[in-house]
Amino acid sequence: MEANMEQLLEKIMSVQSRSDSVNTSLFDKREHIEKLHRTCNLLRKVQFIYDLPDRLGKCIKSEAYADAVKFYTGAMPIFKAYGDSSFQDCKQASEEAIAIIIKNLQGKLFSDSESIQVRADAAVLLKQLDFPVNNLKTKLFEKLEQSIAGIQLNPVEISNVFGDCSAHEAAIHQFVEAVCAFRVIFPDSDEELVKLAQDLATKFEYVKSRIGPEYLLGVLRVIWNDVLLIDEVLQEAALSSHSLEDGSEQSSLDVVLDASTKAVLQGSMNILMDFRKILDDDSGILLRLRELIIDWVQEGLQDFFRQLEDQFLQFSGRSNPSIQAHGLAEGAQGDKAFTGLVLVLAQLSAFIEQTVIPKEVATSFSGGSVRGHESGPAFVPGEICRKFRSAGEKFLHLYVNMRTQRVSFLLKKRFTTPNWVKHKEPREVHMFVDLFLQELEVIVKEVKQILPHGRRKHHRTDSNGSSASSRSNPLREEKLGRSNTQRARSQLLETHLAKLFKQKVEIFTKVEYTQESVVTTLVKLCLKSFQEFVRLQTFNRSGFQQIQVDIQFLRIPLREIVEDEAAIDFLLDEVIVATAERCLDPVPLEPPILDKLIRAKLAKTEEQNLISS
Amino acid sequence: MQAASSGIGYGLKYQARCISDVKADTDHTSFLAGTLSLKEENEVHLIRLSSSGTELFCEGLFSHPNEIWDLVSCPFDQRIFSTVYSNGETFGAAIWQIPELYGELNSPQLERITSLDTDSCKIKCILWWPSGRHDKLISINEENLYLWNLDVSKKTAQEEFMMIWQSSSTAFPYIQTKPQVQSQDSAGMLHKLSGGAWDPHDVSSVAATCESYLQFWDVRTMKKTISVECSHVCSVDYHPQKQHILVTAEHESGIHIWDLRKPKVPIQELPGHTHWTWTVKCNPEYDGMILSAGTNSTVNLWLASTNHEELTTERQVDSSARWVDPLLNTYSDYEDSIYGLTWSSREPWIFASLSYDGRVVVESVKPFIPQK
Repeated sequence: MEANMEQLLEKIMSVQSRSDSVNTSLFDKREHIEKLHRTCNLLRKVQFIYDLPDRLGKCIKSEAYADAVKFYTGAMPIFKAYGDSSFQDCKQASEEAIAIIIKNLQGKLFSDSESIQVRADAAVLLKQLDFPVNNLKTKLFEKLEQSIAGIQLNPVEISNVFGDCSAHEAAIHQFVEAVCAFRVIFPDSDEELVKLAQDLATKFEYVKSRIGPEYLLGVLRVIWNDVLLIDEVLQEAALSSHSLEDGSEQSSLDVVLDASTKAVLQGSMNILMDFRKILDDDSGILLRLRELIIDWVQEGLQDFFRQLEDQFLQFSGRSNPSIQAHGLAEGAQGDKAFTGLVLVLAQLSAFIEQTVIPKEVATSFSGGSVRGHESGPAFVPGEICRKFRSAGEKFLHLYVNMRTQRVSFLLKKRFTTPNWVKHKEPREVHMFVDLFLQELEVIVKEVKQILPHGRRKHHRTDSNGSSASSRSNPLREEKLGRSNTQRARSQLLETHLAKLFKQKVEIFTKVEYTQESVVTTLVKLCLKSFQEFVRLQTFNRSGFQQIQVDIQFLRIPLREIVEDEAAIDFLLDEVIVATAERCLDPVPLEPPILDKLIRAKLAKTEEQNLISS
Repeated sequence: MQAASSGIGYGLKYQARCISDVKADTDHTSFLAGTLSLKEENEVHLIRLSSSGTELFCEGLFSHPNEIWDLVSCPFDQRIFSTVYSNGETFGAAIWQIPELYGELNSPQLERITSLDTDSCKIKCILWWPSGRHDKLISINEENLYLWNLDVSKKTAQEEFMMIWQSSSTAFPYIQTKPQVQSQDSAGMLHKLSGGAWDPHDVSSVAATCESYLQFWDVRTMKKTISVECSHVCSVDYHPQKQHILVTAEHESGIHIWDLRKPKVPIQELPGHTHWTWTVKCNPEYDGMILSAGTNSTVNLWLASTNHEELTTERQVDSSARWVDPLLNTYSDYEDSIYGLTWSSREPWIFASLSYDGRVVVESVKPFIPQK
């Protein structure tokens, strides 16, 4: 066994040595062959260059421009390196040939009779030849624009010559083809094309209602961005919201609201009807595009509502900084206008959410499933509803905030100006109640114009304050039977313990889109502010009595304005209790004196009303 | 959101507004609360959370001469605190010390270290520098800011500088005895200071809340620096970790988070409370966690983003699906408006709140801490 292995090894060694020797002996020859091979290649290339002008000429004759360009661009590097020395003649000749080719290609590009593909190819080739294609592009574009001008869309003419619409159609078709060609040739020129189509579309605006959807078809083929159509609608909607800016007169607020609700509803209905007409049309391309169109429309509407909401928000956002700039001290007309507008926006959002989207828009859609599943359905009514609902609530809260800020300012002035510890005996009801009631009147008027009446019982779960607090409970015992004396005494006797056993009243409830709700919420918040301001002061006996008189006077008018009387009574009592706690010597006024002061004030107010009316 | 009652309660005898975390106490989680009663004898309670975290008990009860409008515990000495008090007519401020071995005395009396008396109007609050040992104090009254040198051992507080609020822009390095004429706005209302905060990152920067804006001062030069507009601002708190970030509470507009490098517009706005947002406090450890207390008897826990870039990029993307409610939780187990609010620095997931009826509620926010 070992002997065999040794033999094997010997044999392998000898084979190896022999092959090595063969290798080395052939080495020189191999090198030589490679050198020759390389030289052969070079010669071939040189031959190619020399042949180039002839070849180009042949290509021109046979119109095989692609090959010509390919040959030429292949030879370019050599021309660049050696064109001035060895290959001068060749270079010149080929350049002449190329110039001819370029001219021919240009001619092809501009001629309308050639097929689109050929023209596209020509453009591509020209680009490869480093020819400034953009000039061509602009020239071609100009041609297109001219052709648009050629299309006459005079509405009068059209309506008169309705029967002769075929010529008009032909013009449109031509235009359409030209634009398609353009698109293929210059694939990255969509923006300009869209602009062009927009111009055409604006011309169509006037015609749309008369001619109907047929011509829209032609335009649709060209316009492949669906938002374009919706843009027009957006313009209409923007116009309507601009008209809101003029709503500076209070009495016209409800007119504004009516107008804007109608605009939104009608506008969307009209668009949908138009599209429906288009879809019902049975022409060939439509059947194919049907699903796509439905999707486009959905997308477009989605976008539209989104943009509408953004516009709304922008609107209210715009109103905010200017209010801050004005300063709350000024009751400028502009300020009032903004609060009214905010309320209108709130109601409008609610209207859109409740009526427009669910009933009208969503039910018009059926079908349309071309969009891939990843992107989801194009029109999501739920999402839009949610957006508008939150926007509406935001506006409502904004309105409430704006109003309470004004009243807060009033109350602040009232409480921080006098020195309550050294207050004099109350001679009359303080005039700030007049200002306060005036503010409330303004609010009530505004709210009446815009919001509907409502009868809705408040639910515990709607509370956004603490419902475990002593201020939360749906019912409250009637206190109307108790006389003034009893009430005065009982207030002072109240301790925390007594409060806990008293039935609770809900203060921080959810604001609804109804007159009563908004007004009640506002009054409650104002009275709470009252209580907070009172807690920051210290009163002497007269100061306390002054507050008592003011509060007692406010009871009656507030009860009339507000729906939840129990809550208001409770809050007014809370103010008195808070004042008593902060008073060094809380002795209330005797009820007869209280009544006398209030009657005096009522008489005075009546007098003033008689004088002013 | 109605949360079940999960907090630990403690009752003060009378109405109260102020509660402060005893930062310097590293062994226990303690709070100081002071009452606000016009006619009764007022008290300061030293409340401690038991080690099991389930009970609050009174570690010390001290009587205090007048009703307390502001109480702040000294950040470097757990037995020292400042109060702003009033007897109904005049206001005053003083630094107090809890006596040593108070636990063994029958009725321990507070030792008054010194008073911070100024001649003019209503003092509003006292600021200690929150980031460590610093021997200066700032007191804010309705018209001016005062900088005091505090020497605890000598029991003196020397008024060092007075920063005048409403005069011309030149600063006065010496003490003024007569208050300057104040400017008035078009409605004849005086702009009054109501509170403030000391920047924990910069010992020379102080923010004071005025009615419709936040005014910043440089304490070294005694000059006003920038001002940030916000309506009816009543409370301000600096972010404890990030410089330039602070949070304001405004009565009606809610909570705003500001980056002082871009003071025109807040980085984020949070809705706040249904009525007034009274006070706002940033968590000492968890970035973006903010507590706010309001007059609608609730305390809200928020998670805000204090990173400006993060917020702007989010706005660009349609985040309707990803929108996260910054309101983490609402604590509503209160009977009255809540005026006092503080985080514990020893256990930063715990906060104490004080409602006007004297009820202290200590809660833990552990379930809401964002997982990293």
